[in-house]
Amino acid sequence: MIYNLELREVRKVYGDFVAVDDVSLAVPPGAVFGLLGQNGAGKTTSIRMIMDILAPDRGEVWMFGRRRESKDLRRVGYLPEERGLYRKMTVTDHLLFFAELHGLPRSLAQASIAGWLERVDLARWAKSRVEALSKGMQQKIQLVATILHDPDILILDEPFSGLDPIAQGLFKEMIADFRGRGKTILFSTHVLEQAEKLCDHISLIAHGRVVLSGELAALKRERGGNVFRLETRSAGSAFDGVPGVLQLLEQTAGLRVVLEPGADPAAVLRELVRRAPVTGFRSEEPDLETLFLQAVRDAN
Amino acid sequence: MRTEAVWTVAKREYLTRVKSKGFWIATLLLPIAMAALTILPSLIAMKAKASHRLAVVDEVGELGEKVAAGLDRAAEGAQEKAAGGDHELDGVPEMAEVQVELVALEPDREALRAKLDRRVLGGEIDAWLWISSAGLAKDVIEYHAESVSNFMTQSRLSHVLSRVVADSRLAQAGLDSARVAELTRDVDLQTVRVSEAGSREEAGMAGFFLAYFLFFLLYMVVMLYGQQVLNGVLEEKSSRIVEVLLASVRPLELLVGKLLGIGAAGMTQLGIWLATMVALSAPAVMTALAIAPAGAQLPRVGAPLVVHFLVLFLLGFGIFATLYAAVGAATNNIQEAQQYAGFIVIFLIVPMFLIIPIINDPDSTLAVVMSMIPFFTPLLMMLRIAVKMPPLWQILGSYVLTATTVVLLIWICARIYRIGILMYGKKPTFRELWRWIRYA
Repeated sequence: MIYNLELREVRKVYGDFVAVDDVSLAVPPGAVFGLLGQNGAGKTTSIRMIMDILAPDRGEVWMFGRRRESKDLRRVGYLPEERGLYRKMTVTDHLLFFAELHGLPRSLAQASIAGWLERVDLARWAKSRVEALSKGMQQKIQLVATILHDPDILILDEPFSGLDPIAQGLFKEMIADFRGRGKTILFSTHVLEQAEKLCDHISLIAHGRVVLSGELAALKRERGGNVFRLETRSAGSAFDGVPGVLQLLEQTAGLRVVLEPGADPAAVLRELVRRAPVTGFRSEEPDLETLFLQAVRDAN
Repeated sequence: MRTEAVWTVAKREYLTRVKSKGFWIATLLLPIAMAALTILPSLIAMKAKASHRLAVVDEVGELGEKVAAGLDRAAEGAQEKAAGGDHELDGVPEMAEVQVELVALEPDREALRAKLDRRVLGGEIDAWLWISSAGLAKDVIEYHAESVSNFMTQSRLSHVLSRVVADSRLAQAGLDSARVAELTRDVDLQTVRVSEAGSREEAGMAGFFLAYFLFFLLYMVVMLYGQQVLNGVLEEKSSRIVEVLLASVRPLELLVGKLLGIGAAGMTQLGIWLATMVALSAPAVMTALAIAPAGAQLPRVGAPLVVHFLVLFLLGFGIFATLYAAVGAATNNIQEAQQYAGFIVIFLIVPMFLIIPIINDPDSTLAVVMSMIPFFTPLLMMLRIAVKMPPLWQILGSYVLTATTVVLLIWICARIYRIGILMYGKKPTFRELWRWIRYA
């Protein structure tokens, strides 16, 4: 399979601190790929190495099935976590500048800009200076600047942080639109619920290492089988200390039970029933947070 | 390096500057300020020539009338000179019209003095003179006025009085004052500038001022445009635009594009200024505008001088703007940046201490050596070229040396720039900067 984007055992060290520790990941065409992890896990450093903003100490970055060349980057749309605009430029000039940097001919860029401004409802601001725009409008302009040249790969670093709800909706719409047109999207986030809704592939990074990686649905299937929903009227404390139970989470009208790997669900159920009245017990797909916690624990 | 990227960055830097109002205000303001500086002194001088009402009390008895006559003659000379006539008449400098009123001596001298003071305060007269034998014995004539700081008028008055007194003393000694004046005429230095293009009379002071002016103009533009690079880099860094830019431009492309664009904006402004100067300094124009009297020897700003100036601007800008860019990238805000920028300014300040020695002796070893040091070349070579065209090998040699230094500096600063531009928080120490250069 030809991946649109690959990291091959990439490593980045700052002094004594290993920011990215032999990270490998592969993003297939048409995937929405979530790079997940807490703040400081190494997500931004990895993305900067993809974009050739930082040089890895070791390892390679591949794009479109070959070692990345600098011209490949023009087919990428990149939205960094920290993003700014030239405040004194007009919206159109600003967008034109970025379009030209990506090698888009001027006439094409102008048509594209007009279309996008129409689409994000900012057409009447085209001649205004950026500083006159509200924060939400500026965020839209940033997104438009990222995708004006119709990139084949879209890389978004924490795209939702600090976004107002309208811009968030717009971003999600764009991601869906790009996926629909067979483009590749990689985005990083530390908000797992968000990733769960948007991604089909993920890589979980903790302390610079990949701890879990793959197609989300497959991961859930593989890693399922040890998450159960327990229906009961009793409080969670009634079931404390049951052997084979890793985690108990209180939910509405019941509990979420995560078993230790290798634990026998039947044996656990027998013990649970012995403790307090139980009205139901069934297998459940793990959510991303559960997978994450498990993976981090396994890695340690 | 991708040339389209450099070009796109340069174009943005150039257009945002050239399209701004501030650019055009500054571009138009300097010629206006220059014109004002040229015209104002003559306006002020004209005002100083306004008529002066002077009362003269003469105890000696014969000098009062001679003073009045001397002052009249001086005033006529001034008018003739203003009309473009011959120079100083009878050695008396030009003088405002003075209305002299001879006041008869009164027995009560103190009362007379008090009366004259009252007339000064009442605005009837501007000043009064008291000529006494006792005073003349000590070479003094009293001058009483509300303001005694009008030194132009006073120095002219003193000149006329000296001549009148001297004439009277010569007569007493039995000598013919006209004959003495004839024999004791001053001589003037006729300054002729020798150059490859042929010798030409030129006023020494004017040449000095031109050298001085070009030096400071170059200092100013190199500094201002260098600072613009610093501000531009800081703006991109602190607003985080650079994060987006670096996705499609390499740091070196960004740096070079920025230097080219801002440098071109500087060249545009200088081009306008220098073209104005060349046009205005043409003798025909000067005469037509009546800025200078006919026949006056003013330094001409010719094409070779302009070309050297522009080349030196590019070299100076290349050096200092590159350093400023590194400072902007390494720091987080303008306050931090100014601390490092202080070190850069030293290279621009040192040449100032060499202005006088170099103007006095533009071929001295000091002048040659210092002007060949790349960091000092832009300002000092400009000074030497303006004073006396140095040998071609020195000019070209210094240009090549400086251009090489610029390339080296860009190569070094690009490393600082590359790392610094993504570093936030602590200001790096010199040791850390050195590490960036080595490992980038």
